[in-house]
Amino acid sequence: MGTKKPQGTLVQGTLDMMILKTLSRGGPSHGYAMAVSIQAVSEEVLRVEEGSLYPALHRLELEGLIDSEWGTSENNRRAKIYRLTPAGRKELTKEAENWQRLVRAIGLVMETAS
Amino acid sequence: MKFWKKLLHRRRLRRDLADELRFHVEMKAQALGDQPQAARRQFGNPTAIQEVLHDMWTFPSIESWWRDIRYAVRSLASAPGFSLVAVVALALGIGADTAIFTIVKGAFTWNLGLDHIERIMWITTVNADAHTFDWAVSYPDFRDFRSRVKSLEGVAAYRFSPSNISYENGLPEQRWNAQVSANSFAVSENKASLGRVFVDADEAPGAPPVVVIGHHVWRDRFGSDEGIIGKVIRVDEIPRTVVGVMPRDRRFPEETDIWTPITASEKRNEHNLVMFGRLAGNGTTATANAELQTIAASLAAEYPATNKEMSAALRPIVEITAAYGLRPLFALLFAAVGFVLLIACADVANMLLARGAGRTREMAIRASIGAGRARIFRQLLVESVVLSAVGGVLGWLVALGGIKWFDVGVTALNKPIWMDLSIDRWAFAYMAAISIGAGLISGLAPAWRLMAQTGVSSILKDGGHGSVSGRATSRLTSALVVFQMMLCVVLLAASGLMIRSANQLYSAPVGVTTANILTSGVNLPRAKYSQPGDRLEFQRAALSQTAALPGVAAAAVTSNLPLGGWDTIECQLQGEAVTKRLSAIVVTPSYFKVFELKPIAGRLLAADDSEIVVNHSFAGKYWPNETAVGKHFRLAQGPEPGTWLTVVGVVPDVLQNTRDRLEIHPLFYLGYTRWPNARINLVARTAVPPETLVNPLRAAIQKIDSNLPISRTVSLQSLLDSARLEVTVFGSICSVFAGIALILATVGLYSVIANSVSMRSQEIGLRMAMGGSPRDILGLVFRQGMRPLLIGLLLGVPLAMVAMRALTSSLVGVAPTDPITFGGVIFVLLAAGALGCVIPARRATRVDPVIALRCQ
Repeated sequence: MGTKKPQGTLVQGTLDMMILKTLSRGGPSHGYAMAVSIQAVSEEVLRVEEGSLYPALHRLELEGLIDSEWGTSENNRRAKIYRLTPAGRKELTKEAENWQRLVRAIGLVMETAS
Repeated sequence: MKFWKKLLHRRRLRRDLADELRFHVEMKAQALGDQPQAARRQFGNPTAIQEVLHDMWTFPSIESWWRDIRYAVRSLASAPGFSLVAVVALALGIGADTAIFTIVKGAFTWNLGLDHIERIMWITTVNADAHTFDWAVSYPDFRDFRSRVKSLEGVAAYRFSPSNISYENGLPEQRWNAQVSANSFAVSENKASLGRVFVDADEAPGAPPVVVIGHHVWRDRFGSDEGIIGKVIRVDEIPRTVVGVMPRDRRFPEETDIWTPITASEKRNEHNLVMFGRLAGNGTTATANAELQTIAASLAAEYPATNKEMSAALRPIVEITAAYGLRPLFALLFAAVGFVLLIACADVANMLLARGAGRTREMAIRASIGAGRARIFRQLLVESVVLSAVGGVLGWLVALGGIKWFDVGVTALNKPIWMDLSIDRWAFAYMAAISIGAGLISGLAPAWRLMAQTGVSSILKDGGHGSVSGRATSRLTSALVVFQMMLCVVLLAASGLMIRSANQLYSAPVGVTTANILTSGVNLPRAKYSQPGDRLEFQRAALSQTAALPGVAAAAVTSNLPLGGWDTIECQLQGEAVTKRLSAIVVTPSYFKVFELKPIAGRLLAADDSEIVVNHSFAGKYWPNETAVGKHFRLAQGPEPGTWLTVVGVVPDVLQNTRDRLEIHPLFYLGYTRWPNARINLVARTAVPPETLVNPLRAAIQKIDSNLPISRTVSLQSLLDSARLEVTVFGSICSVFAGIALILATVGLYSVIANSVSMRSQEIGLRMAMGGSPRDILGLVFRQGMRPLLIGLLLGVPLAMVAMRALTSSLVGVAPTDPITFGGVIFVLLAAGALGCVIPARRATRVDPVIALRCQ
């Protein structure tokens, strides 16, 4: 129930993929840092709602794609740090390939349509 | 892993989830420049997110089950009277069932000190003439089978007898001695725990005498001294070197105390060995059986004189144990106890139904605020399972008590060592299973009934009384009472027949006066009493010593006590070419005086041992329509075969058969001087209570031979009474079950009637207001209660008569349709039914019309 609506609506399932990608690129990280990172990398287009982010994180953890432990944040607070598991890395590769195919396919459709 | 850890640490899970989200908010506030308000606004509802996360980590279903259970407990606690009765009923049913399960498991788990009991086979011979299993074989037969059989891995043999053992200066004692072939240990796959078992050389004639002792003998008699190996103990006056000690609980072939090597014999007609073998790795019973029969046939051809009518058969070794014959009885108990549990379930079902009638409103309200029918159904089943689970816990105590009771009873009956009566995890699993099963069975019908009634509108309108569905419920409760009564008839009939049969058995005349008789067993060791003359000398001395005791009127020696079996001797009747195995009691002439037996023809035995006396059955079987007196036959074995003996008298039949059969066996009485057995019984008719003479008798015998132990010196009456215990124990178990069943069924009937009275109090009040007399009301209630009872009897009596046919083999002197038993059953059930009706009926007559009518 964020007050500002994100400008781009996320395609179903892409949040999971972006979390995996963020962890793969930036290493272990806590939820807040991931949200900030996705927002920054997407040049402020994608805003991750906390109401979606945390259920997604916990679902991924239950599926064994990411792993977590309690650690200390950069400002010395107790924080839950997530890390990619080997299974998660494999899943990311698969999802990324699918995504590329999808983007290409949509691109083709959009070009011919214009 | 992590998942489970989190699930188990539920409180920590909540804290962690809160922490994680709070951290996020704080970071966000910092980023916005210390604006916690704004950060929280942006974040949304943390509690909602936390709930979502929490549900991901836990089973919502488990939570809801847990809620159902808590609700059930609360709801049952709010009706303590109902819950208590239901729990007690289930505890009785479940407890009795678990106890019998444990007992049956104990009785069917044959240990016998064998590793592969299913492959060890008892090889019996079959006597075609006597059409009975003749359990034993002779040594030459055993030798031939051993050398010829291929389908068995080794054939071994043993004979089992009591032996007197003494060591240094200790008191002599009688122990069970298994004389075994050396390969017995290999065939039964047993090894010594100390020293060695026998080798073939020990069995050879002239080998130095050796003995192997059981672990318990080693522990009790020799203080677990490892130096026992090589020491010499005296077994039946023969010094034997101890060569080995068996492991604990390894007492095969029977409840053996010591093992000695078998002695060879060339007498093919002396059937005194039990033969057994182990099935070869891939061998089957069928092939082994076929081979054994072929061998028996060829032996019959080779030795027609002794083996003509002999064939062989293979049976599982467990059949040799006495308790094997009790298996149908155990199966019966198991069925009976199952009935008890079913009756308890029907009770609980009925009570749940009755309770359900008062809960239709509660259900309707639950349904109207959104509970699905399946949810209500589940809730109700959870309730009955909670009841039966509590019943199961209490049933555990009932089972413990029941097993203790049985154990005490069986120990008095000389409990077999293999009988393990501990409640193990199987018994526990069984109990858990029947507890849940009982809960489901008893809850199913009421839950379904109640769910079906949960049409919201009708119930909220109707007060829960007298609706169509109410009538359907009462039909169901009546059906349950009918069912209970049917089972009750069967149980009562079974226990009644058992008791009647036991009474028949023990009220049957033995044929002699059993009062004031003292008996004592003596086993004369062959080493010291090797010659018949030695044994006769002992017998003469023992009789004169015994007869001289003050209080003794007459004394005698006999091979078998009444109800104590007989000896079998190969005989040839005059005028017949072949020999027969006939049954004999070997006695001194004073035997007839001790037992006060008068001849019905001819006269009794005198000193001349070429005279014999036969019993009435013997005369009737071998010389029908002829006078037995004056007939001749001779013994075809024994010390002096060939002398013709003359029948001088006929005596009345005495029951020699064991208690389970009331058959009279054809017997002849032979003088002890002609057949001086080593194992004898001293009997004395006393003028004083026989128990007072036990010690004087012992002292008298020790005066003759101080190394001779005497066993079992008791009055004949107490000997017969202890034999009676077996049937008494089973009879009383059955009666306890029948009693429980009767109480449960009565409670069931009572609860149904009581409930119906309270439901109909308005109607009753109205009737009374209209001038109905208390008599009318009583009649009303009784009619309602007695109808299902009578239907139950009508259906149950024929059912029981058919079912009791299964009992026929265990019944003696009573028909399965015994009118006295069934009459008694019907009377008891009618009385119990009346009892169940009378309290609610009286309550009904006290209904105050004004209150009843105002109640609504």
